[in-house]
Amino acid sequence: MIATGIAVQCADPALRTALEAWLDGLRLAAPPGLVLDVAVTEDDLGSPPEAVFEQPDVRFGSGPDGRGVRLAWDYAPAVADVPATVSVATVRLSPDAARHLERCTRTFLTAVVIVLLRRVGWYHLHAATAIDPSGQGWLVAGNAHVGKSTTAALLAASGWQVGTDDAAFLERDHDRIVAHTCHAPIALRDGGRRLLARAGGVVLPNRGKVGFWPEDLGGVWTPLVSPDVVIFPTVGKTRTTAEPMARKVALTELVRWSAWVMLEPDLAQDHLDVLTRLTGQARCFRVTLGRDLFARPNRLIELVT
Amino acid sequence: MSDRYVRHPDLRLADVEGDGVVLHLGSRRYFSVSESGLALLQALEAPRTLPELVDVLLERYEVTPEQAEASVRQFLETCRTADLLVPEAGG
Repeated sequence: MIATGIAVQCADPALRTALEAWLDGLRLAAPPGLVLDVAVTEDDLGSPPEAVFEQPDVRFGSGPDGRGVRLAWDYAPAVADVPATVSVATVRLSPDAARHLERCTRTFLTAVVIVLLRRVGWYHLHAATAIDPSGQGWLVAGNAHVGKSTTAALLAASGWQVGTDDAAFLERDHDRIVAHTCHAPIALRDGGRRLLARAGGVVLPNRGKVGFWPEDLGGVWTPLVSPDVVIFPTVGKTRTTAEPMARKVALTELVRWSAWVMLEPDLAQDHLDVLTRLTGQARCFRVTLGRDLFARPNRLIELVT
Repeated sequence: MSDRYVRHPDLRLADVEGDGVVLHLGSRRYFSVSESGLALLQALEAPRTLPELVDVLLERYEVTPEQAEASVRQFLETCRTADLLVPEAGG
């Protein structure tokens, strides 16, 4: 198992064990030195931050000193402070938040980890990751409903290595940008399962989807991809097509799907520089996904060659 | 005495083969700029006068001073409209 680089500090041994198990399950090979310092308290957690950024259930604002990030959970009282230059996230959970730990980890604490990882130069991008049979690294970037998960599942079932269907963390690695991923199931909606003709999987009741591990689909999970190709898909009704993108256009798309770049002035330039380097390293394409891909998944390789 | 211009501190710039992409963290907008626009925004990290900005274009492009000044004036107007400039600190 790949050890996570995120340590948990918590006075409650049961909560600490649960959080360590969650982080271990992510199998995220983050650099050491990051800390989640978690306490359960009945104290007033203060007013939530003025939101400059929002996700379902989670609000993001500036930290108490005007730098860094304060996160607040909407589902139950919980806040986290992640200072600009410190690799420790201070998390305070109400007893009610601690009672909903599965949801808390899936939404709130996942967001805290995304912000914490920025302290070590890991920048989140909404993208699936894969390695094709010839060894080329791929990113499939975009929001929900553009076909990322179905494509990731299709590629896994076709012998590609797949890392994630949704969340990649970009990092500089010498002269390359690489993408790290968590070990998480590929989450398919009913439509995707029908197209793939797949039964089974693990029901993800809170997401209305069914999860498949890459291994369940006949693929291999890979925690690390060095991208050679980035595609920005949409679902179409005709044959699959790919149109090369100018670097500047590709960069604006990457900014769109890595919106955290706007969150923290202290890190924005470094984050933007990573995205810019990625556009110089990888060939970028706007892809329309057609149903023909299900008969010949490797057509994707032909289209970008 | 000439006015001096400086770019908004919330701007972040990316140089993509000469062309530029600009983030405005305050408004959370982003957009692309031309090669000359990127050069001017890079110069505007420090306060600049109109003649200094004209010189930026004259050093890079084969244009007349009149053409360069017209381009800079138009660029500054666009920047003001898009909230890309701020008053010079202490000015």
